[in-house]
Amino acid sequence: MTNYIIRRLAQAIPQLFIISIILFTLMQAFGDPVATLGARNPPRPEEKERLRRQLGLDQPVYMQYITWLVGNDWQKIDMDGDGVPETPGQRKGILRGDWGNSLVARRPVLEMIGERLPNTLILMITAEIVIIILSLMIGLVSALRPYSLFDNIVTGLSFIGYSMPVFWLALMLMYIFAVNFRRWGLPYLPTVGMFDPAVGKTPAEIIKHMILPLTTLAVISTAGYSRFVRSSVLEVLGQDYVRTARAKGLKAMYVVFRHALPNAALPFITLIGLDIPFLLAGAVVTERIFAWPGMGRLFLDHTERADFPMLMGILMLISIAVVIFQIITDVVYSFVDPRIRLE
Amino acid sequence: MKQKLLSLLSLLMLASMLLAACGGGAAAPTFSGTATITFVQEPDNLNPLYSSMWFSQITREFWLKGAWSFDANSQPYPELVTEIPSTSNGGISADGKTLTLKLRPDVTWSDGEAMTADDFVFTYDMVMSEKNIVNGRYPYEDFVSSVEAKDPQTVVVNFTEPFAPWLTSIFNFVLPKHVLQPVFDSEGTLDNAAWNRAPSVGVGPFVFQEWESGSHIIFKANPNWIRPPKLEQVFIRMTPDDAAQEAAIIAGDTHIGVFLSSDQIDRLEAGGDVKVVATPGGYNESWFLNVNPATAHPAMLDVNVRKAIALATDRFSIVKDLLKPDINPVNATFWDNTPGYATDSLEPYPYDPEQAKQLLDEAGWVDSNGDGTRDKDGVELILRYATTTRELRKNVQAVVQQQWAQVGIGTELINHSSDIFWNNYNDGGPQALGEYDISEYSQSPDGPPDPEASQNWLCSEIASADNPDGANWQGVCDDELDALFKQQATIADPAARLAVYRQIQQKMYDEVLYIGMWKDPDLWSINSKLQGVNLSGPTPFWNAYEWEVSE
Repeated sequence: MTNYIIRRLAQAIPQLFIISIILFTLMQAFGDPVATLGARNPPRPEEKERLRRQLGLDQPVYMQYITWLVGNDWQKIDMDGDGVPETPGQRKGILRGDWGNSLVARRPVLEMIGERLPNTLILMITAEIVIIILSLMIGLVSALRPYSLFDNIVTGLSFIGYSMPVFWLALMLMYIFAVNFRRWGLPYLPTVGMFDPAVGKTPAEIIKHMILPLTTLAVISTAGYSRFVRSSVLEVLGQDYVRTARAKGLKAMYVVFRHALPNAALPFITLIGLDIPFLLAGAVVTERIFAWPGMGRLFLDHTERADFPMLMGILMLISIAVVIFQIITDVVYSFVDPRIRLE
Repeated sequence: MKQKLLSLLSLLMLASMLLAACGGGAAAPTFSGTATITFVQEPDNLNPLYSSMWFSQITREFWLKGAWSFDANSQPYPELVTEIPSTSNGGISADGKTLTLKLRPDVTWSDGEAMTADDFVFTYDMVMSEKNIVNGRYPYEDFVSSVEAKDPQTVVVNFTEPFAPWLTSIFNFVLPKHVLQPVFDSEGTLDNAAWNRAPSVGVGPFVFQEWESGSHIIFKANPNWIRPPKLEQVFIRMTPDDAAQEAAIIAGDTHIGVFLSSDQIDRLEAGGDVKVVATPGGYNESWFLNVNPATAHPAMLDVNVRKAIALATDRFSIVKDLLKPDINPVNATFWDNTPGYATDSLEPYPYDPEQAKQLLDEAGWVDSNGDGTRDKDGVELILRYATTTRELRKNVQAVVQQQWAQVGIGTELINHSSDIFWNNYNDGGPQALGEYDISEYSQSPDGPPDPEASQNWLCSEIASADNPDGANWQGVCDDELDALFKQQATIADPAARLAVYRQIQQKMYDEVLYIGMWKDPDLWSINSKLQGVNLSGPTPFWNAYEWEVSE
């Protein structure tokens, strides 16, 4: 097992290296970060030239990549534009733990990610737990009573939930529960943000502000997941070993939970394993609408400004998480499914 | 016994309450309430050296006042100085090349340190230092030769030549030397200073408290400011989605909403708690006319045809049907939304299709082949009318197409996505290349409320392969206009400069080198619970010290 994990980690290194080259090349398509530094008043051509030089954006792409990867602290750079490099480079490169500085905020990328990650994780992990529990329950009940009234209603609702655009659902929930409930004098929820400034950032406030974004995420994902659980449980229930278990006279619930569910859960675990790394990325649309200060918005804001060190930071973080969770998923598999041995 | 104890207790309580009340009365001013503002964009950096974002600039009225601010009439009034420099008070030298700022002796930084001329000199040095990767050095790099501290209360700015736009560009922020000099000395740059993100020391009615990325910025009352505020704190919430901001405004979760559009007004004001107000930001929805002989339709070179275009367009009903006439009236000149430079004497050309037809007839553009479109020397009068893909502009295009058809002008409607519409000559920008006759978009002077907009009209700014960044996409090249624009740029006295602008406006109006569509002010929502708000265009939150919240 240990050997297997070490081997997989060793394989991950060239994998991540190739990913970083591909991403860095794609970054060039985002446009010119210097052009957006002026916002309403675009910088004049001479200013753009100076900024490009000082930020190192006048270098060829491969040099920029090398600086991003291993730094430039062994060479001097030309800050004053006289053609003679005079200022020692400061960058250490991602391999030495320096993820670079955001071009627009002028702050370390890792620090900025560190501020947003907890907010995203609070929302996304809670949402994921709710989604898993709800979809398991709904999926199981539907599968045990296929084509019953409950199943038909749930199937109908699932298709509605699955086909609703996120932004539409989010705004509808906001207008119903935050705007109109307040207008009608009913107990209401807040519209945007993580807390009410008059109260402060207390756990109760965060929970209250999390209800609507959480509901938005849960409605849409539960719809799809519960269908998935339903079909895999249905498939397993038709297997010979389940029939054998029933024929032995085992209790119905025992058969479902001891014989059917562990087998039906395998594909579900794969799905969740693939999903978890993307929890780090946050929910772009939901975070934007509910003004939730998470990773999705960090990515979006810095995409608009073509801030490639920040985008590289976020994308590499997700890439690393994907690789790691793939390994974890495989390891978990070997525990859940005795047929699998990792050697 | 029990009763005695009770009365003794109540007497004690009464006494302590009285004492507490007396003690409170003698203390420093008290602050109460929180004003909440929604921002649809988050500032990237709070240090003015590293941000050109409007959303970063407007926060400075809370915590980092400049030498002067602009009131609700966009008139400058002193903040850090005793008076606005002028030729009469000696603040502007006779040759217009020296500006003298007299500092208020009673202004201190929020930590109590005195603010002196050294802070101003330090600010200039930091803007110009090669060690700092600042966003822009305008106007210090090209127009200022030196900044000196004559004495602790006197700052002298020497210009290389008389510099007109000083009021909007010189010392609209000052950096605290006592905080930042040690950082610069030890790190060699201000690029990574903690102050950029958490400017704990400032100069204004509020002082920075906290900035949680993506969430909010909090400013607390600053008792050391010369005009102490009434509020306890200002809370700015980042709310990137327009529709969500609208919901927050309607629900009362925010007192001030920003960056609104005309179509939201009725919905926002429906509940009765919210009022939408407009401030002049310099922008007008505009028609820029291509008069470059090399690229324009030949008819565009004739002033009577251009006048006929203005007369044939019913801008008044467009504004009435698609916008709000009281917020977005039709403008006559490029400067109608720039306070102090709007001309009341010039009225927009009226809607008069008959006169338009007459002018076109006289110019020789008649429908000789009976196809419904005028022509001359075998050239049909079909004009290329280009704009972005914005829905409102497409609707305007459709209406104008019909109006022009009634006077016999044909149209080719062109729409470009905004990422290529404003590209420069080398990047194939359709306007820079002159691939249009009329182009519509919203534009402002370079740095409102300053009127400077020369680059759109100077001969030397005509875009070409040799001058790809040239901003004169219309090919305007008129000796008289050129001279006037160059003249105004070097008049440091605002009144004298205005006289030149009057001539510029009259000339552009007579020659129909510009057709205004409507004023495009900045729209804000204000909740009735927040009182005393009196927004201005250039420095919206100038009177934040007067704001009050009622429950």
